[in-house]
Amino acid sequence: MPHKTKPKAQVIPPDAYPQLASKAQTAALARTLRSHVTAVTATRVIEESGEGLRDAVRFYVEELEAAGTNLVLVLDKAHEIRGFAETAGMLSTGRIADGLCRYCDEAEQRGIVPDAAVVALHVSAIGRTARDPDTMTHMNDVVAKELAQLAGRKLAESRKTLKNS
Amino acid sequence: MPGAAFEQLKVLIVEDNQHMRSLLRALLNSVGIREIAEASNGSSALNLLRERKCDMILTDLAMQPMDGLEFSRTVRTSEKSPNPFVPIIMITGHTERHRVEEARDAGVTEFLAKPITAQSLFSRLAEIMERPRAFVRTETYFGPDRRRKTPESYAGPWRRHDDFQDVQIQ
Repeated sequence: MPHKTKPKAQVIPPDAYPQLASKAQTAALARTLRSHVTAVTATRVIEESGEGLRDAVRFYVEELEAAGTNLVLVLDKAHEIRGFAETAGMLSTGRIADGLCRYCDEAEQRGIVPDAAVVALHVSAIGRTARDPDTMTHMNDVVAKELAQLAGRKLAESRKTLKNS
Repeated sequence: MPGAAFEQLKVLIVEDNQHMRSLLRALLNSVGIREIAEASNGSSALNLLRERKCDMILTDLAMQPMDGLEFSRTVRTSEKSPNPFVPIIMITGHTERHRVEEARDAGVTEFLAKPITAQSLFSRLAEIMERPRAFVRTETYFGPDRRRKTPESYAGPWRRHDDFQDVQIQ
């Protein structure tokens, strides 16, 4: 017999509160949102916004570099860069910032202090790729992969150290 | 007619970065949404909500002085909230699991990870329109149903009135 407790939650079904559009309109609206024409138009919109977004990324990169050893600030700015860079077409910058965020997040979850050298290498690479007008050079791609491997190795080493202690 | 329906929608963008606000506005414009208000943090957004009707909110997470979590909680639970049922899409680069859970518990309807694409944004909008979620009120939570689906193996606790209709007493 399933365990049952006295119901405490009140459920309000969708038809009991105001909706964005009538049911008749909803299907047409969703079709428009998923249409090829909308996708093409929206892609153009993102491309047109690229320069402004790249400025925003460069601004965050400057703040990231100025954060020094303040890990909270570094992580905060890295998250912002991760959020903007790929939309701005700065793929390598976005990928490296993503790697830094993942590394720090995982370290935090495991109660490990992120390795300062790993963080510094990521910050340096983010700065270089953000200033590189060629956003997807082979070298940037290699750097992103190498840094991801380095972060992975450092996490594995930390796990071993924690296990043995 | 979709265009006309989109023109009637009123959207509020809450985002501290001006470039992202502009991008979101341009994307919404591209499908015909014209009535768009902007705020740079949760506190300003609450003031705007008191002044004008809003059908949907797109909000960032990390903002000062009021972040997207506190803003969402206030929209859902404040006695002064003009529309506690308004769909809220949180758009953020902070995608750690605990952040997603915090957003869910604050009453966010959909969570969208940056970097955004047009497809990811529009699919969330379509999701909200096509599959509006039930709302749940408990002693500690008010917002969209956090149970996206109930696994067959779920053994309780059963806390909802309608749970009783589904449970076979053996």
